Amino acid sequence: MHRLPRLRRSITTLACAATLAMLASACAGDDGGSGTGADEAPDKKVTITFWHGWSAESEVKAVDDLVAKFNAKHPNIKVKVVSNVTDDKITQGIRSGKGPDVVSSFTTDNVGQFCTSGSWTDLAPWLAKSNIDPAATFPKPVLDYTQFQGKRCALPLLADSYGLYYNKDMFAAAGITAPPKTFTELTETAKKLNQLNGDGTFKVAGFLPTFHAYEFSAAHTLAQFGPTYQTPDGKSNLSKDPVVPQFFNWQKQFVESQGGFDKLEKFRTTFGEEFSAENPFMSGKLAMTMDGEWRTAMLAQDAPNLNYGTAPFPVPDDQLDKYGRSYLTGTTVGIAKSSHHQAAAWEFVKFVTTDTEAMVAFSQAIHNVPSTNAALAASPLANDEHFKPFIDAFKHPASNTTPASPNGGKYQVTLSEYAYKWEAGQGGDLTKSLADLDKQIDTDVAQVK
Amino acid sequence: MTTTAPAAAKVPAALRRQRRRRNLRTLAFLSPWLIGFSVFFAYPLGATVYYSFTRYDLINPPVWVGMRNWNYVLNDYPPLWQALRNTLWLVVVMVTLRVIFGLGLGMLAIRLKRGGGLFRTLSYLPYLAPPVAATIGFAFLLNPGTGPVNHLLGNVGMPQPGWFNDPDWSKPALTLLALWGIGDLLVIFTASLLDVPREQYEAAELDGVGPWQRFRYVTWPAITPVVLFAVVTGVIQTMQYYTQAMVAGKVASGIIGNSGQSFEPGYPQGTTLTLPQLVYEEGFSTFNTGAACVISLLLFVIAMAFTFLLLRRRSGLLDDD
Amino acid sequence: MAQTVTAEAAGIAPPLAPARTPPRPRRRKRVLTWIGVHTLAVTAVLFFILPFVFLFLTSVMSNKQALTSDLWPTSWEWGNYTKVMKTPGFGTWWRNTLMYAGLGTLFTVVSSLPVAYALAKFRFRFRGVALMLVISSMMLPPQVIIIPMYIFWAKQMHLSGTLWPLIIPMAFGDAFTIFLLRQFLLTIPSEYLDAARVDGCGELRILISIVVPMIRPAIAAVALFQFFYCWNDYFGPQVYASENPGAWTLSYGLESFKGAHQVNWNLMMAATLLVMAPVILVFFFAQKAFIEGVTLTGVKG
Repeated sequence: MHRLPRLRRSITTLACAATLAMLASACAGDDGGSGTGADEAPDKKVTITFWHGWSAESEVKAVDDLVAKFNAKHPNIKVKVVSNVTDDKITQGIRSGKGPDVVSSFTTDNVGQFCTSGSWTDLAPWLAKSNIDPAATFPKPVLDYTQFQGKRCALPLLADSYGLYYNKDMFAAAGITAPPKTFTELTETAKKLNQLNGDGTFKVAGFLPTFHAYEFSAAHTLAQFGPTYQTPDGKSNLSKDPVVPQFFNWQKQFVESQGGFDKLEKFRTTFGEEFSAENPFMSGKLAMTMDGEWRTAMLAQDAPNLNYGTAPFPVPDDQLDKYGRSYLTGTTVGIAKSSHHQAAAWEFVKFVTTDTEAMVAFSQAIHNVPSTNAALAASPLANDEHFKPFIDAFKHPASNTTPASPNGGKYQVTLSEYAYKWEAGQGGDLTKSLADLDKQIDTDVAQVK
Repeated sequence: MTTTAPAAAKVPAALRRQRRRRNLRTLAFLSPWLIGFSVFFAYPLGATVYYSFTRYDLINPPVWVGMRNWNYVLNDYPPLWQALRNTLWLVVVMVTLRVIFGLGLGMLAIRLKRGGGLFRTLSYLPYLAPPVAATIGFAFLLNPGTGPVNHLLGNVGMPQPGWFNDPDWSKPALTLLALWGIGDLLVIFTASLLDVPREQYEAAELDGVGPWQRFRYVTWPAITPVVLFAVVTGVIQTMQYYTQAMVAGKVASGIIGNSGQSFEPGYPQGTTLTLPQLVYEEGFSTFNTGAACVISLLLFVIAMAFTFLLLRRRSGLLDDD
Repeated sequence: MAQTVTAEAAGIAPPLAPARTPPRPRRRKRVLTWIGVHTLAVTAVLFFILPFVFLFLTSVMSNKQALTSDLWPTSWEWGNYTKVMKTPGFGTWWRNTLMYAGLGTLFTVVSSLPVAYALAKFRFRFRGVALMLVISSMMLPPQVIIIPMYIFWAKQMHLSGTLWPLIIPMAFGDAFTIFLLRQFLLTIPSEYLDAARVDGCGELRILISIVVPMIRPAIAAVALFQFFYCWNDYFGPQVYASENPGAWTLSYGLESFKGAHQVNWNLMMAATLLVMAPVILVFFFAQKAFIEGVTLTGVKG
C-alpha cells in the first residue's frame, strides 16, 4: 500500500508545476508594444513592415511603386512589404506580437474586432497631431466603415464599389441593346444570353447567380435591396427586415430560371481562378457578371480585345429609384498595437491614405476608387467610360455597406452559410430560419463580450 | 558488490546507495520524456482546462467567465453537432471500408507469386504522397466540370457526381482519397496474413471446408488482434481528421480566404467539418480561444475513451517481453 | 503432399494437381483463379497509379487546356516546372522543410532512444504507468493542446512565425518513436546486456556501443517515419508559421500556391508532383526499413 502516496505525490507535483506555468502565462497576457516608439525622433533610421493582401502581379507592383514614392520623401524609413496576406494571418500576427507595423485588410468586416480588441492602435491622437480632420478629408461611407463605436482605428486606402460587366459582342449577337436595370430585366437578359452545348451543359451562361460565383456573394447582392442588418441597439435584424426574404426568393427564382443550382454549380467548377486571365468573364464563359471596379484594369491587361461595357448593378423592380447604388467596401489600413515604431508607421499611413498625388497614381494603377475627397476630384479615372459607373456608385446616396460588429464578419459568415444551404434547396422554412439566424448571431456576439 | 559484506549494518546502506544510484540512472534515461511530457502534455492539458473558463483574445489578459464557454459550445453552437455527425459517418464508413479494402488487398497480395513485390510497392506508393498534395490532386481529379474522373464516367454513360462540391458526395470523395492511401494497412495485413500458422490451413483442408469457412475459422481468429488494432487506430486518426478535409474544402470551394471572402470550413455546407477544424477556426480565426478549448477537451475525452479500449483489449501492448 | 496442401491453403496454386480429384476441372479452376486474381491485381494497381498519371499529364498542359476536360496535353509545357521552381518562396519552403524534417528527425531519435531503452530494459516502479502515459500521449490528437501551446510559444517564447515551436519539442522524446523503439528493444535478449554489465560497461556505453548497432534497422524505420511526418505536416506550420511566408514549409506553402499562382491547375499539379517526388524517392531507397517499421506498428507488440 505504499505505492499510492508516492504516485499521488508525483501527481501533485505535476499539478503544481502546471498551475505555476499557467499563472505565469495568465500574467504575461499583455505584452503589446503600445506606446513604444511614439517619441522617436522623426529622422531616426527605422525599418517598418507593411502587410497587404494584393496578390495579382500588377497590383503587387503598384504597391511597390507607392512604397518607393514614400521612400523618396522619407529616406530614413525603410518599408519592408509583404504581399498576399489574409485577414487570418493579420489577426494571428498581431496577436502573437510578431505582426507588422502597418497592416492593411481587404475587408471592412473585421474593423469592429480590430478596434474593440485594441489590436489596431487608436489613430485619433495621430490625426490630431498631424492636423488632419477626417470628416473634411474622407467621404462619409469610407469614414464610417473605418471606425467602430466612435473609435477610429483604421483609415481607408482606396475603396471598392460593384457593378455589372457585360460582353457587348454577346449582347449584339442576342439582339440586346442596353444593359438591364431591374432584376426582372436581368433575368430575362441572362436567359437570352445562355448558350448550351450538345449535352445540355453551359457553353456560355448569361449570368451565374449562385453565391460561390466569386463576387456574387450574399452581402454584395443583398446591398442592392438596402438591408438593415442591425437594430439601433446592435441586435440582428434579418428576420424583421422585409427585404431579406425578398432577396432570398429573388435569388431562388433567378437560379431556377437559369437552369437550376446543380447545373450552374457544375459550370462554376470549370472556371479559372478569379484573379487570373482565366477569369470566366474574361475567358468568355459568362456574358454578364457582378464584379468590382478593379476588373477594368485586369481586362485592359489580360483581355484587351474583349468588347465589354459596365453599368450599375440592377436593382429590385420596386426600387428603381435607387438604380446606381452598390455595395461599398475598401481596403482599410492601420497601425498594429504591437509595432515598436508607431511614429514611423504613422508617417507611412498618413502618406498612403492622404497624399493626393500618390493616391491618384495608386488608384490609377490598380483601378480602385480613390478614398479622399481631393483624390476623387483629381482622378482622371472619372473620365474613363468603363470606370465612371463605379465612381458614381461610390458617390450614390443609396449605396451601403455591411455594419461592423464586435466579432468581425462572423454574422456575415452565418448569413452566407445559410445562403449556401438555401440555394441548394435545403434552406427549410425561410421565416423560421431567419429568426434562427438572428438568434445565432446575437448569441455569437454575446459570446465575445 | 556481492563479494564483500563487512558489517551487517552496512549492507542495507550499500544496497540503498545502489538502489538510489539505479533510480537516478533510470531518471536520467527517462528525463527527455519526463520533461517533454510535463511541458508539452500535462501542462498544456491543464492550461486547456483553465482557458476553457476564460475569455482570452490573446491581446487583453484572460478574463474568468465561468461556464459561459461550455454553455455556448454545448447549447448554442450547431457546428459542434454537425462535426460529430460527420466524424461518426467517417468512423462507420471510412474506417470500415479501409479495413475491408486493406484486408482484401492483403489477401490478393499473398496470392500473387510473380510480381507480388511490384504489386505491393505500387499499392504502397499513394500512402506516401503528402496529404496536402494528395488532396489537391484528388480535388483536381474529381473536379465535377473538368476532372478526368467525371470525363471518363461520362464517356461510359455513368452518372457524374459533384464529389467535393456536392454535400452528398463530399464524404464519399474523402473516403475514396483514404482508400487510395491504404498502404499502411496493406503492409500490416499482408504481414499478419503471412503469419497465420500453415498447419491450421492443412487441418482445415483435410476436413474439406470451403474457402469462406477457412477464412472464418482459420484466418480471422489469427488476424483479429491486427484488425482490432487497425480499427482503433483508424478511429483515433478519424478524430484527428483535419488536413484532407480542410484542403479539399478550400480547393473545391474556390475560396482560400483571399480578397475579403473568408473560407468557411466544412465546404460544402459543413459536410466535411470535423472537430479539429473547429478548434482551428475558433482558436486561430475568430480567436474565441475559450470555446476552442472546450472543443479541444471534448475531443480529448473521445480520443482517450478509444485509447483505453485499445489498452484494455490489447494488453499485449503493456507486456514486458 | 502436405506441402502442396499448405501452399494451396495459403492461396498459392499448387504445382501439381492432387491425384484424388480429376485433373481437368481442377486445372480449369486454377486457370480461372489465376485470371481472377490477376485481373483484380491489375485493377487495383490502376486505381493506385492512374491518379499520378493524370496529375502528371495536367502538369504539362497549357493553362487554358488544364481548364478543359482533355486528358492528353496538346502542347507539352515543360516550362511549367521551371515556372513553379522560380516562384518566389519555393526555394525557401524547400529549405525550411528540409530543416524541419532533418532537425526534427535527429532530435526525435536521439532523445527517444534512452527513454525507450529504459522502458524496455530497466526494472523500476511506475514502469507500467509510464508506458501507459506514453501510449496515451501517442493517441492524443495534436489539436487538443494547441491553444495553450500556441500561447506558450507566441506570448512567452516569442517564437511564432518560425518553425522552432515544432522542432524544439522533438528534443524531448516523441511518444510514437519511444513506443516503436521499445517494441524493437524488447526483442533483444537481456543476456547480451548482462554480459556487458559484467564486463563493467555503463548503461550509456551499452546503449551506444551494443544496442544501437543491433537495432539499426529499427532506428532507420523510426527516423523515416519522423521524416515523413515532418515533411507532410500541415497543421503545425499552419498554426505557428502562417503569419510568416519566410517560414513556410512545402506542405503548407503548396496550398497557398493557389493564391499566389491564382490557381492554374497546370502549375498547381506541377507543384504538387514536385512536393511528392522527394518522399517517393526516399521510399524507393529505404523501402525495406520502412515496411519493416510499418509492420511492427501493428503486428508485433
